[in-house]
Amino acid sequence: MAYLATFHWGWLLASVLLGMAMGWIAVVHRGQGVSKQTMRWLAALAAALVAAALTHVIPGRPGYWLDLGLVMLAVYLVGCAVGSWLRDWVLTRNAPSA
Amino acid sequence: MHGLFRWSSKWWPGIIPLVVFWGIAAWNSTAPLEADLAARSTSALKDTVLDKTRIEVSGRDVSFAADAFSEDGRRSAVAAVQAVPGVRLVNDETRLIPEAKPFVWSAERDVARVTLGGSAPLPASKGKLLEAARAALGGVEVADRMQMSRGAPPRFDNAALLLVDQIAKLKEGKITISDTEVSLSGMARDLGGREAIAAALKNLPEGFSVAANDLKAPPYVFQAYKDPVAVTLTLTGYVPDNNVHAAIAAAAGRKFFSEKVVDNLKASIGAPSGFVSAVVPALGVLSRLSTGTLVVNDREIKLSGDALYDAALTQIRASLAKDFPEGWQVKADLSVKPAAAPVDPTVCQQLLSELLARGKIRFESGRAGIDQDSAGLLDRLIETAMRCPTADIEIAGHTDADGEEAFNQALSEKRAQSVTDYLVKAGLPANRFTATGYGSSQPVASNDTDEGKAQNRRIDFLVK
Repeated sequence: MAYLATFHWGWLLASVLLGMAMGWIAVVHRGQGVSKQTMRWLAALAAALVAAALTHVIPGRPGYWLDLGLVMLAVYLVGCAVGSWLRDWVLTRNAPSA
Repeated sequence: MHGLFRWSSKWWPGIIPLVVFWGIAAWNSTAPLEADLAARSTSALKDTVLDKTRIEVSGRDVSFAADAFSEDGRRSAVAAVQAVPGVRLVNDETRLIPEAKPFVWSAERDVARVTLGGSAPLPASKGKLLEAARAALGGVEVADRMQMSRGAPPRFDNAALLLVDQIAKLKEGKITISDTEVSLSGMARDLGGREAIAAALKNLPEGFSVAANDLKAPPYVFQAYKDPVAVTLTLTGYVPDNNVHAAIAAAAGRKFFSEKVVDNLKASIGAPSGFVSAVVPALGVLSRLSTGTLVVNDREIKLSGDALYDAALTQIRASLAKDFPEGWQVKADLSVKPAAAPVDPTVCQQLLSELLARGKIRFESGRAGIDQDSAGLLDRLIETAMRCPTADIEIAGHTDADGEEAFNQALSEKRAQSVTDYLVKAGLPANRFTATGYGSSQPVASNDTDEGKAQNRRIDFLVK
């Protein structure tokens, strides 16, 4: 993992920035969110993919691509969480004065 | 926390550009990543000893194939690749090189090249052997047919290096190591090469032994050619050492009284036993031929040429049967020279005097027995005497003035009689010859010097 991080730091940085931007927007976004049911399915899918990556069942290049995708997704989600939390923190700090 | 859950339901639109990023990243990074992992794996194997190493990277998975020389080496090589950062899986396709039993290595030399074959334990030892072979053989082509195998005996490299040096001393042949046993066959390049190799084999590393040494030495050749036109005796080939050289040159000087001896002999070890006692009588036979060649090839003597008269041929054949050491073979291709035209007694006397001026009949010191070395001269005297069949000849014996006159008188008579007997034995009629002894009464030089005395000790042929 450390090797992937050093080798792909540019793409990971892009993912985390993308995540932060998306997280920043998500807090005030008025659109329709994903339903709980879909969330569960997506979580299960992600867990299955993580399990596949950890058990090394997918060989060769597809295996590498899966690892890369999951790392980028993980970094994206972390970016989203940080972005949302930041936006929320900015909003709640500004609210009383507004 | 509840907020985070609520917000997360709206994070999905970012997945779309993320997937695009992912696609671009995968597209761009796969090949460099694979190249980087291949380079790291190769450098991780730098210090391990392997043959036919092949590394293929697909994604983060490394297919690693190689021939290893021991189980430990194989395991540590695989572990080294597994430890490379970034490598996810190692497909272990390594194998141990086959074990050779018996462990056979060979070096073979033919006319064109030297071929190293059989098994070598490690690439390094293979390289060392090839390098040593090239260094030892100068410009000769060295072909490599060695395969890698396990199971080499301890100190194999030292033994093989020693033997590679020996292959340079062979003209053709094969040297083989089978486990710890060394066998050699073929022929040495030079005289003494076989002995030099045998000496070098004593330095084989501990544990190695010579199972068979069938090396042959090149033939030990000695040649003598008597040229009647140039009046020379040419000696070529080898003699065992300088003492033998001197002895043979001295014998040739005594036996060939009128020929100039051209001595091209070289000293070399490797002579067959009994060399001198075979070559000296063979030279004696050659001295009795009008023209002829003597070739000594190891223990085979070949003589060809023409004897001067029938009885000489008979005597020569008899001596060939008994004068040579045991184990020697004599092949003689001898004939008799056609008899020369008769001459009148005056010419006969002249011819005899000329012969005796060039050489002297030698006797045993203080006795009347004729020295073997004078056979050539006597043959010529007999041949000449045969050319004047009507002339009577006096054989006159003379001595120097040393000692008592009565003894000298008796000795000169006996010596003259010995010569006469020799002539009669050769087939000349006894009634043509009279043997007379003059003691020291007719000196031809001063008896005060050794040289003069030597001239006075003589046999004269006087045609009546």
